[in-house]
Amino acid sequence: MTLYHTAQNIEASALGQAIRESTWLFPAIESTHLLALALLGGSVLIISLAVLGIGLQTPPAEIYKSAHRYMNGAVIVLLITGILLGISEPVKLYGRQAFWVKMISLVIALLATYLAFNPLVKRGASGIGIRGVTALTLAAWLMVAMAGRWIGFS
Amino acid sequence: MLEGLITKLADTPWSIGLHESLYMYAITESAHVMSIMLFVGTIAMVDLRLLGISYTKIPVSQMLSKMLPWTVAGFVLLVITGAMLFLAIPIRTYHSLWFRLKCLMILIAAVNIAIFTFKVERDKAAWDLGPVPRKSKICAVISLGAWGCVIVFGRLIAYNWFDCDSITSATMAGLTGCPLDPG
Repeated sequence: MTLYHTAQNIEASALGQAIRESTWLFPAIESTHLLALALLGGSVLIISLAVLGIGLQTPPAEIYKSAHRYMNGAVIVLLITGILLGISEPVKLYGRQAFWVKMISLVIALLATYLAFNPLVKRGASGIGIRGVTALTLAAWLMVAMAGRWIGFS
Repeated sequence: MLEGLITKLADTPWSIGLHESLYMYAITESAHVMSIMLFVGTIAMVDLRLLGISYTKIPVSQMLSKMLPWTVAGFVLLVITGAMLFLAIPIRTYHSLWFRLKCLMILIAAVNIAIFTFKVERDKAAWDLGPVPRKSKICAVISLGAWGCVIVFGRLIAYNWFDCDSITSATMAGLTGCPLDPG
């Protein structure tokens, strides 16, 4: 079975149909997705700006202690709502370049955040390395948001 | 009068250009969404501090002085991109119930900011690191609620549930400023 057939099967599923045919479900999930996006932006930025020396003057590791809960919560909500949105129109997504750009950026953003950015911040790292990782992480998340919005236009 | 102005706005080459452009509308909309991350994201983190449930080891004064400039930067980007989105589709947006509710929420949030700035934070030196007072928590809850509604209502503008051509009651006609089509 090809990926395209899988997309067709998901589209025909009961859940996919329910979200697609309901008036309120898709907008409600979409709105929750956006609220979580704002929370993710805030929790990543509050640490990043401190790392880059242009935000809070508190050590980033200290900021992380509060911020990481919101970051993790936002990522979980974004993934769940994102998957629900995807289930409702997978055939359309399959054919959209913006969707694949978003998925690739998402993988990069998640890897950069959880394998590099967070561990370095927790360890209290400083210098050019952590700054570079921060810039990459921010750029990747912005790409995810931008490509995500673009799915609706392409 | 306002409606006449908006009708004129819709006829300007700026409006038509934005509306018909292949990429400019999408770029503006995407920039608007990214600015939300900066604006609502940073204000939410400040609100969580003002609620006293997070970042409690960071002084309130530092949180306000170091984070709010970024919030303001986000706001400027949102106003510019938001005005461009309005300019692209002026008449429909003006009549949109969601757009009107969004403006109401922005107004509530603005009044809340004024109260916080001129009254609530005046004696913040006394609670910079100690337990936050009730008044601070109230402002934080209003802020989180109002900006959350602004995001949701903003997203819903895209849906045509209450567009002028589907208005059937006098109440909805009043709320949207749409003409009520008899029968």
